[in-house]
Order: sequence, then structure tokens, then C-alpha cells
Amino acid sequence: MERADVAIIGGGLVGCAAAWQLARKGASVVLIEAGDINAGASGQNAGSLHFQIERRFLENGDDLAEQGAQIVALSRHAVTDWATIEGDLAADLHVAMDGGLMVAETAEQVALLERKAARESHEGLAVRTLDGEQARTIAPYLSPGILAANFSADEGHADPRAVTPALADAARREGASVRTATRVRTIERDAGRFRVEGEGLALSADQLLVAAGAWSTEICALVNIHMPLYPVALLMNATERTAPMVPHLVQHVGRRLSLKQTHAGNLLIGGGWPSRLAQTPNGGFDLSARAQMIPESLTGNLLAARDVVPGVTQLNLIRSWTGVTAISSDQLPIVGPVPRVPGLWVAAGGSAFTLGLTFARMLADAMTGGDADELALLSPARFEHLNGFMG
Amino acid sequence: MADLQHFDVAIIGGGPAGQAAAVALSGHGLSIAVIDEQPRPGGQILRQPPARFAVQAWLEGRSYAPLKQLLARFQALSGITWLGEHSVIGVQQGSVMAMGPEGVTTISARHILIAAGCQDLAVPVSGWTLPGVYAAGGIQAFLKGQQLLVGSRVLLAGTHPLQLLIAAQIVAAGGTVAAVMFAQPRSAMIGALTKHPLAALRRAPDLLATAGALRTLARAGTPVLFGAKIEALTGNDRVSGAITNQGQVACDAVGLCYGFVPQSAVPRMAGAQMKPAGPAGGWACVHDEWMRTSVPGIAAAGEAVGVAGAAAAAAGGSLAGIAIALDLGLIDADAADRAARQPRRALLQHRAFAALLDAAADPTDHFPKPAGDTIICRCEDVDHATLTGQVSAGGSANAIKLATRCGMGACQGRNCEPSLLRMIAETGPGSDPGFTARFPARQVSIADLLPPE
Repeated sequence: MERADVAIIGGGLVGCAAAWQLARKGASVVLIEAGDINAGASGQNAGSLHFQIERRFLENGDDLAEQGAQIVALSRHAVTDWATIEGDLAADLHVAMDGGLMVAETAEQVALLERKAARESHEGLAVRTLDGEQARTIAPYLSPGILAANFSADEGHADPRAVTPALADAARREGASVRTATRVRTIERDAGRFRVEGEGLALSADQLLVAAGAWSTEICALVNIHMPLYPVALLMNATERTAPMVPHLVQHVGRRLSLKQTHAGNLLIGGGWPSRLAQTPNGGFDLSARAQMIPESLTGNLLAARDVVPGVTQLNLIRSWTGVTAISSDQLPIVGPVPRVPGLWVAAGGSAFTLGLTFARMLADAMTGGDADELALLSPARFEHLNGFMG
Repeated sequence: MADLQHFDVAIIGGGPAGQAAAVALSGHGLSIAVIDEQPRPGGQILRQPPARFAVQAWLEGRSYAPLKQLLARFQALSGITWLGEHSVIGVQQGSVMAMGPEGVTTISARHILIAAGCQDLAVPVSGWTLPGVYAAGGIQAFLKGQQLLVGSRVLLAGTHPLQLLIAAQIVAAGGTVAAVMFAQPRSAMIGALTKHPLAALRRAPDLLATAGALRTLARAGTPVLFGAKIEALTGNDRVSGAITNQGQVACDAVGLCYGFVPQSAVPRMAGAQMKPAGPAGGWACVHDEWMRTSVPGIAAAGEAVGVAGAAAAAAGGSLAGIAIALDLGLIDADAADRAARQPRRALLQHRAFAALLDAAADPTDHFPKPAGDTIICRCEDVDHATLTGQVSAGGSANAIKLATRCGMGACQGRNCEPSLLRMIAETGPGSDPGFTARFPARQVSIADLLPPE
């Protein structure tokens, strides 16, 4: 039986980045992916590098907003990780960090922006609050209806098509073994090790990292562990290419919108509009089938885009697509060791494009004897009560 | 976006299949929408010139006669809402989204028939992106629809016998055809046709049309060559010649004719189960004996279920119309069976002939070899060498799409997908399901998707 220090399940951004970081530290790593590298949310998301507190943390009360604010500490690390990744990998990932705006259209939203900025400055994230005129001065593409905006100088975007394949290449160069089209069938615990088996795979590893996105729940189930992650299918849209018009990442504090322009010139429009997950004949969600677009989501998303950047109406929509990610039961990502099963690590639950490099770097440190203090907020330990009868 | 419109039945495609379905559904008082990209019904086969054109001797050939009769019957029907100049951009169970001159409209319908026809297989070869290089069907569309010759000296090349008819139509319209080049040897074509003489005989009018085309070309002195393979198309600002294994040919337009693939974007977007359409590639809808797809309420007929020609399309369309009447409880099972007898028989017979034609026209071993810098995905400028690298690394079509942008552009991959899948099939097991179909099937203005401000 093949042996490795670490088995990683999931060939997305976090899995590939962790494989790279662990291999650099000298660990023997086998990364196992059921399909292709970058086939899930890592390649399907729209590539935002968002460091301001996300709208989804702001719309469900103060407690959640407080937790969202704590993620800012990780975001500060992420700024550095993204600023250095192209040099580290010697690859062009179309990382653009030319700033990001979170806009408001109503007085209520302006007040929300101000509270958000206060939380952020408390956590050490530099955000400027601009009025509508100031915002349009740096972002002339914005609608006259924008009353205010928070500006974060480090925000931006990167190319989701390029990042994860480059990380996988880097991992291979450092000696990691990357197995695609390899579905894990069983995971047995054997004398403190993990025996991972699947088609053409029989591996014994000291440690196991599950970084399988929405599929992480079923992978954890193979280890007899509950992981409270819920799949969600989101809509994203691309326009035809156009001349440079939007250099920033644009988000909305009160409506679902993210908008940016890729290096190729397409505008990508998303922001968390739902799609309908496919279902299995026996009930339950079928993550292997394409999620269905909800027409109201398309209209809602494009309306938000029009109200913020009116110029989008001059463009053709060339593609709308749906991607599946997962959110945890408390909305925060789940990253770190699983107390019930020593050697088992998890990294899943969203925000993993912006924060994925940081998750992977910190996990690699922790898995090779360092500490995981900075990930404490995201630790799977907070769900240990679910696993009291498991393991 | 315009208001929602409700219909009992929405038929996508006003060609023979859509027309026949509408005819079969007539007399029941149903509201039926027929949606087509052309201004006037007819489909590609009877592509009508604009109404204000005075065209003499429009599609006179004998094989067009029954199709013209069907078109006349269709145009005489009442209760049909003709939505010409509308492109379907999305289909889900029970609804069709279409873009027309007035913007985007959503049509709800209990039954949807996909009869969206086929398109030319796009075949990349060095120089194929030069102006003046067409899919042969495009040349024919200009002729039928606008009485327009695309060049003064047209070269036709490929493997499909239809190029003989197109060449003869060019000659009849006063044009010059430099040559008709079949990449396969003559024996391969004749052999396929004579293997099943009965099936061939039943479609004598089509074979006679081919013989007639050969006579027309012979009179015009047009060379018809076999085993003649295109190696590259050349020219500066536009195509001026072809390099072939039989020497150079001067021309100012080229029609490439290697076969046809179903328009599969719409059924794939709806989630219908698909199967490989035939030797030319592409995807056809899987259907039951009543032309129902795997998606409840969505049927398919015509080239959508496999390219088999206009007669098969009309038969399948009839069958689909009868089945919808059955499913709506307008006729009972016995009546449906009786009505279906004739179209079923016709469908079998025409499909047998189509299988012969497929074998005779099989391009599998006769595609041109693209150069490394030959563009395969024209929307996103992805060349052959780039794709070769990805394919040899073992990626799926979707993974290669993501990595290279091949298939991510305005055409949604309907032109490059067969080329990419052939490359994948050459190196691997060849069971790749192709690109995941995405909305919209045709690019659409964002303003048209939104309510007015």
C-alpha cells in the first residue's frame, strides 16, 4: 500500500494550495480529485478578492456581523497572500488589486456602510467612506443613484480559471502527487492512520485534509463524522468583452451584486443569486448534475447591475452559469482540525477564493507542527457537539 | 422584458418538423406558438426569400415539391401565432425564453416541441478564418434566401454529397464552381450507397436530384474530384486559393461541407438526455416512440433527434404532434396509433436512407489536419496547439473550456465543440459528454432582459 504523510481530498483552490505548501515543507502529499482540477466552485466562482465584510454577514443581525468582522483579521493576511502569489508561483494569474467599492443607494444602506466601516477600522482594515460624488470621481461608471460607497484599496479580483491549475502545477513541482478522475470510495482508520481507497488508489496517510467544497460532507461521512455544510447553487453572468470600463471590484451593501471586469474585457456579474440545485430521484440534492437557473435571479442580478453600473445595458450577455458551493450552518467557513478524529482536517464552507490561499498556508503550518490559533474562529471544534456520538 | 405569453403548445422551429407537428395538432382549437429565427416559415430547407422579392423558379427541384405542399398547408392553418425573427435563448420545462425584434419574451406552454434543425459542422483547417470561407450550408442559405452568390469562383470541399446539389445551385444561379472536392475515395461513397439498394431506391427522387446535379456540373465543366483533400486555404485579405493533395486551386470563395450536426443547445439547456448524433459528431435528443424527450412536456423532432433530412423531419414532426394531442387527451390511444402508422413507416424508411447517406458522407477519416496555429475556437481565439496540450494532459471538455476559454464565447461552443471532442476521442476512451450547456443559447442584450427603466 502506498504511503504518504498527508492525503488531501479535493482538487480545488484550497486543496491544491495546501498540497503546494505542505510539499514545500517536505511532506509527502497525495492529492485526490474525483473529477478535474478546478472543476468545482474554485473554477466556477467569479474571482472576487473581497476584504470588506460581506453583505451576507450584515443582513442577519449584529451577532453575525460581529463574527463577520472577526474574519477581517484573516482578510488582512489574504491581502498579503494575493499580493505575493504571482511571484511565488511565477505565473500570471491576472491578479488585480486596484481597489473595491461597496456601494449604497438608500439612506438606510448608507448607515449600514458607516457601521460596517467602523467595525472594519476596529479590526484594522483600512476602508474609506466616500459620498456619491467622491465615489463617481474615482469610479465614473457608477450610477448617479449611488449615495455613498466604502472603498478598500486592496480589493480586486483574480482569474479563477488560472489560479488553481497554477497551484496544482506548483504542488507537482514540489513533489506532490496529484490524482484526478479518482473518486474516493472508502476511508478506514487504521492504527492512527487513514486508509483511503478508490479506483486505482490504495493509500495510507498520517493525516487527511478534506477540502472538497460542497462534497466535503459526504467525504467526512466516510470517516463517520458530521460536517454541517449545506450546498448552495449560485448564478454568475458574463457579458461580451468590452473596452476597459470598470477597474474595481464593485459590491453592494444592500443588494446582491458583485461586478468586475476581467483582464480579457468581459464583465462578470454575480453576487449570490440562487439557482435551483438538481435533485436525485429519491429526494435530496444531486451535486453531480447542473443546477438550474432561476429566471427571477437572472433579472434581479442584472437589475442590480444596471442600477449601479448603467453602462451594462449596452452590453450583450453571453453566458450565465451556475456553480455549487457550500455554506456552514453558522455561515462561517469550517477550517482546522476535527477534535473527534485526530489527524483529520477540514477546509470548506465558502469564502475560499478570497481566503483560500490563507487557509491553505495556515493549515500547512498547523499540520506540520505549528499552531492553528489564527484559524480558531473557524475551527470545526465549534460543531463538536454534533459528533459526540460519531467518529 | 415583455409580458408572459401563454400557449398550449410552443414549437421551436418553423421547418418541416415544426410545420408537420402544427398540422397534426390543427383542428383541436389549441393555441400554438411557432418560434423561428427566420422571418418566414420554411426552415433551412425551404428558406424563403423576403416577401418583397420577386423570385422566379424558387427551389423548383422535384424533391422540394412535397415540402412546398407541407409549407402551404402550414401557412393556411388558423390558430398559429408565428413568432418569426425570434431566437430561443432559454428553455426550461414549461417555458421558452425568446429574443425578438421587440426584446425578450417568455412563453409558457404545457408542451414544447424542439424542432430547431441542424447546422453545418464547422471544420477547422489552416486559413478557414479568412473572409470568403463559408460552411457550405451558408452559401446555400445566401442563394435560397437572398439570391446571392458569395463569390465568382467557388470551391466546394468536404465529404457530404449535399455539396453536389449546392454546386449545381450555384451553377444554375449563374455562378462558377472551381471544383467539388470529395476527400473520400469514390469507392467509399458508392460502396455505402449500393450496400442497401432498397433503402436507396425508396428515395429515388433524392438520388435523381444528385444525378441531375452531376449532369448540371458536367455541362458546366465543373470538376468533381474524389480523394481530394484540403490541406490549407490561402489568401491575404480574403481567400484566394486552396492547397490540396491534388494541387492548388484558385477561388475567391470556399464552402466546406463535411456534414451536419443537430442544433443541440436548447435541449441540452433544458436537461434532455442526449446521445452522439452520428459520424459527423454533435448531439441528438434521446426520445421515446412518441418523440418525447427525457424531460416531461418537452418533445423533439427533426434534425434535433439526428440529422436525417427534411422528409424524416416532417414524419417525426407529425408523430410529435399526434403525441401531444394524445397527451393533452384530445385523441385516444387508438386514434393516435392509427394516425401514427403512416408517419412511423415514413420515419423508418427515411432514417434508413439517412444512415446510408451518413455512411457515404462519413468524414471520420477525412478531416483536414489543422496546423498548430489554426484557430479552433473562433470566438475566443484558441488555437489547435493550445488545445493539443490540454488534451494530452487528459482534461475533459469542460476542464479544457475552463482552462483555455475554448467554447466560452458568443457561440457557446456550438462551432468548436465537435472539433475538441474529436481531439479528445483520438487520445482517450472518447465518452466525454461535451460542454455543459449554458444560458443564453444566443447572446442577448442585457437591456432586452430587463424591464424598461
